[in-house]
Amino acid sequence: MTFIRLLRYVVLRAASLFITVVVGVYLAILIANMGGYVDEIRKAQIREQVGATMLADQKLRTMPPNEVRRVIDQQIALEETRLGLDRPFLLRSFAYLSDALTLSLGRAERLTSDKGSRQVRDIILERLPATLLLFGTADLIVFFTAIFVALFLSRRYGSWLDKTVVALAPTSSAPAWFYGIFLILIFASVFRILPFGGMVDVPPPESALEYGLSVLQHLILPVSAILVGSLFIAIYNWRTFFLIYSSEDYVEVAKAKGLPSGAIERRYILRPTLPPIITSFAFALISLWSGAIILETVFSWPGLGRLLFQAVGLFDTPVIIGSVVIYAYLLALTVFLLDILYALVDPRVKVGGEAGRSL
Amino acid sequence: MTKGIRIAVLTALLAVLGGGIYLALRSRAQSAKPASNESAAKQSPRLGAWVDEIVFREEADRAKALNMFEAGEIDVYGLGITDPELYRRIQASRVVQYEISYGSSSELTFNPVGPTFPKTGELNPFHVPAIREAINWLVDRDYVAEEIYGGLAVPRYLPLTTAFPDYARLADVARRLELHYSYDTEKAKAIITKEMRKLGAQLVNERWHYRGKPVRLIFLIRTEDQRREIGDYVATLLENVGFTVDRQYKTAAESSPIWIGGNPADGRWHIYTGGWVSLAIDRDQADMFNGYYTPRGRPDPLWQAYTPSPRLDKVAEILDRRDYNTWEERKELMTEALKLAMEDSVRVWLVDAVYVWPRRKEVVLAADLAGGISGSTLWPYTIRFVEGTGRRVNFANPSMLTEPWNPVAGSNWIFDNMITRGTQDLPAFPDPFTGLHWPQRVRTAEVYVQKGLPVTKTLDWLTLSFVPSIDVPPDAWIDWDAGGERFVTVREMHSKGLKARTRTVIHYADNLWETRWHDGNKLSLADFIFAFILGFDRGNPKSAIFDEAAVPALKTFLSHFRGARILEKNPLVVEIYSDQIFPDAETIAATRASDFYTNVPWHELALGVLAERSRQLAFSASKADRLKVDWLSYISGPSLPVLDRHLAAALKEGFLPYRNTLGEYTSQQEVTERYEKLRAWRQTRHHFWVSNGPFYLYSVHPVEKIVVIRRSESFSDPADKWVRFVEPQIADVEVSGPRIVKIGTPAEFQVQISFKGKPYPEKDLEFVRYMVFDSRGELVELANPESAGDGMWKITLGPKQTARLTSGSNRLELAVTSRLVALPSFRTFRFVTVKEETKLGLQGKTGADGQIEDGGSKIEDRKSRSSILNLLSSKISLADR
Repeated sequence: MTFIRLLRYVVLRAASLFITVVVGVYLAILIANMGGYVDEIRKAQIREQVGATMLADQKLRTMPPNEVRRVIDQQIALEETRLGLDRPFLLRSFAYLSDALTLSLGRAERLTSDKGSRQVRDIILERLPATLLLFGTADLIVFFTAIFVALFLSRRYGSWLDKTVVALAPTSSAPAWFYGIFLILIFASVFRILPFGGMVDVPPPESALEYGLSVLQHLILPVSAILVGSLFIAIYNWRTFFLIYSSEDYVEVAKAKGLPSGAIERRYILRPTLPPIITSFAFALISLWSGAIILETVFSWPGLGRLLFQAVGLFDTPVIIGSVVIYAYLLALTVFLLDILYALVDPRVKVGGEAGRSL
Repeated sequence: MTKGIRIAVLTALLAVLGGGIYLALRSRAQSAKPASNESAAKQSPRLGAWVDEIVFREEADRAKALNMFEAGEIDVYGLGITDPELYRRIQASRVVQYEISYGSSSELTFNPVGPTFPKTGELNPFHVPAIREAINWLVDRDYVAEEIYGGLAVPRYLPLTTAFPDYARLADVARRLELHYSYDTEKAKAIITKEMRKLGAQLVNERWHYRGKPVRLIFLIRTEDQRREIGDYVATLLENVGFTVDRQYKTAAESSPIWIGGNPADGRWHIYTGGWVSLAIDRDQADMFNGYYTPRGRPDPLWQAYTPSPRLDKVAEILDRRDYNTWEERKELMTEALKLAMEDSVRVWLVDAVYVWPRRKEVVLAADLAGGISGSTLWPYTIRFVEGTGRRVNFANPSMLTEPWNPVAGSNWIFDNMITRGTQDLPAFPDPFTGLHWPQRVRTAEVYVQKGLPVTKTLDWLTLSFVPSIDVPPDAWIDWDAGGERFVTVREMHSKGLKARTRTVIHYADNLWETRWHDGNKLSLADFIFAFILGFDRGNPKSAIFDEAAVPALKTFLSHFRGARILEKNPLVVEIYSDQIFPDAETIAATRASDFYTNVPWHELALGVLAERSRQLAFSASKADRLKVDWLSYISGPSLPVLDRHLAAALKEGFLPYRNTLGEYTSQQEVTERYEKLRAWRQTRHHFWVSNGPFYLYSVHPVEKIVVIRRSESFSDPADKWVRFVEPQIADVEVSGPRIVKIGTPAEFQVQISFKGKPYPEKDLEFVRYMVFDSRGELVELANPESAGDGMWKITLGPKQTARLTSGSNRLELAVTSRLVALPSFRTFRFVTVKEETKLGLQGKTGADGQIEDGGSKIEDRKSRSSILNLLSSKISLADR
């Protein structure tokens, strides 16, 4: 019975999450295309660009005007067909949806990958390592530093270090790119000890070791910007969270029993707070997918954020949808797995339990 | 958290930080070392490029790029700057210098449908040409140039670009029209009032009303650049004359479907802040009237709504067809067209923007007067350090590697093309300052033109002859038989013979076949013939590599191409027959030379042909999308393994494309050798990009957005071959003379024309002309001053001429055009005429600061002038207007 109950829960949960993904992705398709109005924009852009290009061509000048116009019309029609604008948007929207849901990401309409591929898969995968490297490094440092420092501070409430962190917490009200600009000015422009941006030295070192070290060097400023922009508020949040648990009766009892502070932290504070920590960690991981448009731009970092920004600017629906659907699936999967994980790490939670008890 | 873990984490962080700083310091120390720093004095004449290596990186932020200049991170920036604030930073910098260009213009585009919009019934005042024309008086272009563009713009009144040769040729006509249309709000208001009443509108509470409702103008204002401020300024002016303006702020994407994609009769807009870009100097703007004022200009709905006057329509068409026989006739037509276009004013031109292209002071290169650095053709031939040769130049571009590179139909992105131009050699180059072509891989050319066609020749590297008629020889190639893989001759297609308007005989450089491709192979006639075939084959439906996207280009070519024949193989001499003419014989010769030329070896292209035939890759984006395959890239990505496979197969089979024809021009041994050298190149350089320019593609790092090109050792031209094009020799004009002239008495003025303080050689001046306008703005004198030698010229106004002046302030306008640069120089000198006997003798002088100096006092010559252009006066004499 437990297995059937569990299976039913899993199926229903998966189905509901899938429907959410379908609705979310289709909404993204509609929004990215302004309900079909983007077709008008693109047709006008094609008309404008083809017209300007052809009329600037001196070689066309000797052709009769009617012939020139015919050539222009032909080019416009060719480009519209290439971009699929000869088919109604509604039909295309369902094709986009079907491709997205089956993860057939297909071909980009305007963008090419840096290496020259039109496959959305290649375009995204090419930028993924840079994004994972930057935001993975920064987010992991922020996450674990925040957790451990917060835990440390929660046991030293009111100390000068605690007060310092509280005082520094508002620094996170400014985004990381804001600090990035200052860090570039200070360390690249004035002191000239760190690079202005990019992922590697120019030109890139030829040996793998030097290349790797150069990437590390280029990581320092953007990672620092992210740390300054989010570390203190993260510590503050976790510290406040841990403080609540630190004042629980069972913690006081443990203290009264004379347990060492490390054991108290691990057994009596960390363990009951594990579900929110795991949730936060999971979401931190999938948030890597989106990158950060402005930060990447400030540091000329070739990440997914800039890619998505370019795709939106060019109305490249397959790339936008490709990025969105992967995020949607990652989110749904994370939520789904978290449901299971909660039951594993927290004995108070039961998957598929009776009404009023289950999650 | 245990103490040990904490210590470990902190140590790791410190190690990363310390290591990074160490590396940073080390890399700075390394980058400070030049790749090679040889003294120019110790060098024998250097061949090929001046510098050893150029590294391109991406940097889109202009402000950050300026910081990078200061830090020594970059030497040249490939993006023109139009922000006055950044320009001031450049001026204040001790390490940054700059080039300038005229890359774009701004105007007001009007919706001419009306008088009411059929769909909405609302009044459209801009249906009336007189109201459109009145906007010329309503707008203060000096304000737009000085305040909105911060001086980085030049007022523009006419359809002609102020930096291009036609404006210089018609300088006197232009000046008269500019004075006629100079800022006059009251005049504009009076005309608008008169015309609005004629339309049946009424002024109620200072607001125009039509059929009981306010006359609302929908103004599409672009938001990405200075056009936002222009829109606000013009909207305020229109509100001041009684209109109600609906300001709709839109980006390019948002406005395109409305102004160019939509039907103007729908009434969704009245005015749009238009902008146009020129990437190269256009030496012949005779087609501007047809293109911008008549329905023939473009097929878009807006153009179809244009209703020019019958005379403007006719003159525009004649000019577009170049249906005139002499330059005098052309000038008359252009003069008339300018006048009629201003009366029509379906668009009101506002300014030509000035772009500033920064570079470090120690680095120089040739920038194009229209296209700047990114549009320059000669940049790779001229880029160098002022001191010494060799070393590395660090170049930043706002974006790169946006599309695949292939030489047939690859990336057309301006910043990618700028880099590829460094790797490719051309048969002729346009002069960056005049647009006239100079030979590079051509020794000389003979241009024969049918009598009566308006073609002139300026330079000595070619000859121009007029002949009664030109018969195309029957054995000339005129088309390509894709099935039979052979050329079709004129005899086969035109049994009764064929005539052409031009015959151009191109004598290519004597050492052409001694030059080498970057992979070590020698150029051969097979390369040229292969490229020639490819142009036909891709547009031919019977071909295995037929591409619909190539059809328009082929049709265009076939519409004027009348045949080609190889006269000699070594040195190569080719004659090409065509109906295409340009006003300059240099352009005809250069265009025909490029018809039979290539900067890509056949064996490189053959791999692409194989990949496209097997439907694995495609040269064009259009065909790639249709076949759902990758767009061919010779430098990176999934194309490379495909090309590798085809290279292996081609080498094994000894594949020679179009063997029926090409077999005559190469041997099987050469075929094998070529592929072997290409394979070695691919193994060393990891890409397939092979060409013949002064630099070769050393490495490409697509994700990092870095491209490295290095000096080609095999490039045989002297490095200083094009060095004279590094700086435009814009004439500096100064006028001195009496500031007060008594009517009916003679007056003499001195004109000094110089460049960098040295007299401007008279032989290099196309014309020097002066105009005298009286206090009412009427032209009373138009003539040429007398040369007095050493850059000095004399203007003498006789008693009869001064007798025609009225009392008041007069303007003496100087227009100077040079053969070395398209940009004309102007200078205004004001003097006062008096009737009665006055104590005279006050001498004035206009200088670079635009003021008349007289003794200790200074009298401002012209109140409204472009402030930054004043600072540029040593470079742009237009500032002196």
